[in-house]
Amino acid sequence: MTNEFAQQGKDVGMCLCKVCRNINPIDQTHCSRCESKIQPRNYASLQHSWALLITAAILLIPANIYPITIVTNQGKVTYDTIYTGIVHLVHLDMFPIAIIVFTASILVPLLKIVGLAIYLSAITFNLPLPKKKLMTGFHIIEWIGRWSMLDLFVIALTVAVVNMGQLLDAKPAPAATAFALVILLTQLAAKVLDTRLLWDRLEKNNDTN
Amino acid sequence: MTQIESPKVVKKKLFSPIWLLPIVALALGAWLGIKSIKESGIEIQVHFPSAIGIDIGKTLVKYQGLTVGKVTDISLDKDLSGVNVTIVMDYRSDPFLNKNTLFWLVMPKASITGIEGLDTLFSGNYIAIEPGDGSSTSKFIASTEAPSMIPNEEEGIVVKLTTSTLGSLDVGSLVFYRQVPVGKVVNYRLIDSDTIIISTFIEQQYSHLVNQESQFWNVSGLKIDASLSGINVNTESLASLLAGGISFNSGAKADKAVTGDHYVLYPDEESAVKGVEFVLTAENADEINQGSAMVYRGVEVGKIHKTQLTESGVKFLAKFDIQYQHLLNADSQFWVSGADISIDGVKHASRLLTGSVVNVLPGLSDSAIPQDFKLQNQAPDLLSDSKFNIKLTSDEHNGLDTGAKVRYKQMPIGEITQVKFSDDFSGVEYLVEILPEYKNLLTSDSHFVSESALKIDASLDGVTVTTRDISTALDGAISLVRGNNKALVKPNSRFALYHSNENAAESIAKNNITTLTLESIDGAGLSAGSSIYYKKMKIGAVKDVRWDNKTDQFSISLAIKNKFSQLVRDNSVFWRNDAASINASLSGIEVNVAPLEGALKGSISLGLLSDDQMGNQQRLYDSKELALKQAQTITLTLPAEAKVAAKAAIRYQGHQIGVVQQVKLNQDLQTLTATAYLYGEYASHFTKSDTEYFVVDAQISLTGIKAPETLITGPYIGVIPGKGSESADSADSADIFEAHLAARYDADIDDDALTLIIEDSQLGSIKVGTPIFFRGISIGQVDGYTLSDNGNKVLMYSHIEQQYTHLVNQTSRFWDASGIQLEVGIFSGAQIETGSLETLLSGGISVATEDVTTSENKLSSGASFNLYNKMKEEWRSWQPEQVKP
Repeated sequence: MTNEFAQQGKDVGMCLCKVCRNINPIDQTHCSRCESKIQPRNYASLQHSWALLITAAILLIPANIYPITIVTNQGKVTYDTIYTGIVHLVHLDMFPIAIIVFTASILVPLLKIVGLAIYLSAITFNLPLPKKKLMTGFHIIEWIGRWSMLDLFVIALTVAVVNMGQLLDAKPAPAATAFALVILLTQLAAKVLDTRLLWDRLEKNNDTN
Repeated sequence: MTQIESPKVVKKKLFSPIWLLPIVALALGAWLGIKSIKESGIEIQVHFPSAIGIDIGKTLVKYQGLTVGKVTDISLDKDLSGVNVTIVMDYRSDPFLNKNTLFWLVMPKASITGIEGLDTLFSGNYIAIEPGDGSSTSKFIASTEAPSMIPNEEEGIVVKLTTSTLGSLDVGSLVFYRQVPVGKVVNYRLIDSDTIIISTFIEQQYSHLVNQESQFWNVSGLKIDASLSGINVNTESLASLLAGGISFNSGAKADKAVTGDHYVLYPDEESAVKGVEFVLTAENADEINQGSAMVYRGVEVGKIHKTQLTESGVKFLAKFDIQYQHLLNADSQFWVSGADISIDGVKHASRLLTGSVVNVLPGLSDSAIPQDFKLQNQAPDLLSDSKFNIKLTSDEHNGLDTGAKVRYKQMPIGEITQVKFSDDFSGVEYLVEILPEYKNLLTSDSHFVSESALKIDASLDGVTVTTRDISTALDGAISLVRGNNKALVKPNSRFALYHSNENAAESIAKNNITTLTLESIDGAGLSAGSSIYYKKMKIGAVKDVRWDNKTDQFSISLAIKNKFSQLVRDNSVFWRNDAASINASLSGIEVNVAPLEGALKGSISLGLLSDDQMGNQQRLYDSKELALKQAQTITLTLPAEAKVAAKAAIRYQGHQIGVVQQVKLNQDLQTLTATAYLYGEYASHFTKSDTEYFVVDAQISLTGIKAPETLITGPYIGVIPGKGSESADSADSADIFEAHLAARYDADIDDDALTLIIEDSQLGSIKVGTPIFFRGISIGQVDGYTLSDNGNKVLMYSHIEQQYTHLVNQTSRFWDASGIQLEVGIFSGAQIETGSLETLLSGGISVATEDVTTSENKLSSGASFNLYNKMKEEWRSWQPEQVKP
């Protein structure tokens, strides 16, 4: 069972078309059905993913340091970073929202970067980590990552709705761009990665977990 | 198929281009980081006395509205004397953070001078910064208040005012120029124990108003000057009322002030304004108080500053504003003028509240300004030279006040300026000013009449109500009545002022009438004012009726207008008018009605006799008739039994020559006194002392009825003219006569008739009137008879008419021819001889003359003859041929 289970397509000379899910002989360069380019493994994706992840990590700093919104309330201009926004919510006793915002805006991007970094490290450096758990974490990251756009979505809505000039106005600040890039880049980083590389390593090491 | 393709070796790329992304991100991040580090603020600490109004993270630091920093922390001072505020300043503010840089907290501040920091209501308080010089530092001590904003040259000038007390002045107190805010107090500070220097900022557009001669004074608060002349509330503006203020004036032509000039701040305007001081003197301080304004053409040019009582009156210290000092000359005039309330309206009503003012009339003189000026009570009359002054005199004060208008045809032509007694107190003298343009109205015979507001003149002519405007009622007014004379008068001429037109007319008439006095036995129903008519036209009036108790006569003074004076001349006569005279006589009825007014008030008529007649101008006749006939009064004394009544005629030979006016019984009951008139033309004949009056009554006898008309008209009085000399010798005339019941026997005898006395033993049928016949023709008659003194015969007074006197001489014989001569003879038969039928009835005397009348046998009056009983036969043959002389 283990062998069956562990048997890979390249072992039997088969390669999956990522576009139409057709199984093609491994020596074909293009899908016989959809003529998309097929590759048994994309080793460059690892580099891509790393690059995107590092960029995201770099951008995470200004995203948190710089204010994400500029709110003009009765002529008084307030610059809010993500953190101060959450602090405001806490001061206003809105803990659930604060938790949601904290999770979506700080925790998730951070965990995503960390998780991706672990995942990539595990592939790149062949770290002895249980592959299944890594896979599970990867799925979680991929799924939850999109929710990090919540903050930007709120900002977009607020900017569109609250527009009363000097009395009350909200505008996105530079951190919003950075933050959006962080989310985008982490998503991309997860997306470009050829997860089969993990399993290659699994076969090599033949570790069960 | 079997061909083996050479393997395509793809070199594995070491670096994917994707790695550019993190590099770019890193570069961007690095740049941002460097930039933020570079631009991160400078942290400074400012010590504030308290943290009130300062919020961490919120309170900003602003310079000229630009945010240059933000409070990041507040911590307590170590010794709890305040708080240390940590401020992150913009990195660009580094050059300004020096030792003398000032920080202060700006909070919203609403004060009377304005609202500051209104923006902080929304933006919150902020900390203001005023950069200073000095060495760079990061620790500061905040000012409690904003430092004075010392403006620069473009914005205005700052002058410094020295004062000893600040009053209610404060930073921000306004500076006024003629109540226009032109600047504000920016700073003040105590220099030493009694000097305060106030820095005052004057805006550029007003800075020219401040010059070297300007004076500043405090107008803070409310200045209430309540006096009897009113309440004077002085304040520059509401702001200065509450927050204090400074006002200043501008010198005439002095150099412009520049920043830093020093001035003295006076406590009030009075002490500030330099002006020209001078002294006004007055007898009393009525209406004028300290603070009363001096006004020229309605502009306040100065004020009374001080009132002082002196021995001779009141002394006012007055001061002209400096810009009006040219109005003060040696001949300037000052007078008090207040609100003027008259019937024409209220002038200067505001002065009811503000009190009277001192009016100023600048003079022209260049000579030195005297020590003091007299404060007059009335405005000087600028037109006095050209005005025309006259004097009016009146018997008494007519209620005319100074200011009463003088009118002509109801147009004002002048006014009364003074009322006083005449010098001898005999009347009142009014000084009147006639406007120059009307002086030609005054002619030498003009006069003035005082008007009354309401005049009701009710007379027989109707009721006239005359009203004048109400000012006439209050002030009185006089009207000019022009005379006919064209001659103009000189100034200060005198005119008469009368109470009324009637009064005037009367007084004028007094000078314009001919007076004369009439005598009358009664008042004739006349009174003063009764009219005098000529041909029923009024020519004058009775002036006076007086009774003289000695003569029981009335003297009636007449006033006849001068234009009718020529009516009063030698042949004028006066009579009184009866209301209606009805003259009913056998010849008809004449009804004469006098003018109604005269009928009611009594009146007199004047009439003219023909030119050759002389009238009596001292006599008032009872009627026109009497007057025109120039009746003369006589008084007759009659026996009581005479049946003579008033209006009985006085006749001579049957011709009326007069009339009895009244008859009254005297107290002795024996006599009547009759007043009678004799018509003037005959009067001279019948007023001679020997004139005889007698009563003629009807006598019915056998010979006929004598005077039968008296049966109807009543008895009348007959008269026999006197024989006195013809000349109007008063000694020979009389006006009191005794009348007899019958005429004297010889009353009817002509003067040149021949009178005889015929004697007989018996009277027989001889009566008065028995004719004397000559050859059957009556040549005379028996006029009367009487017994001789010794009683032995009857003397029959007879006369022979003048034309027959030559028929009678000493040879004449008289016999009784009365009755019937009956001779019965035997031989001759019966012989009946009678005279005429008249002689048969009334008797008669015949006469026959023997010789021719010569000068020897001519009879003289009073000769006596015997009366024979019958004619002798030989007398019948006497036939002398008489010669009529």
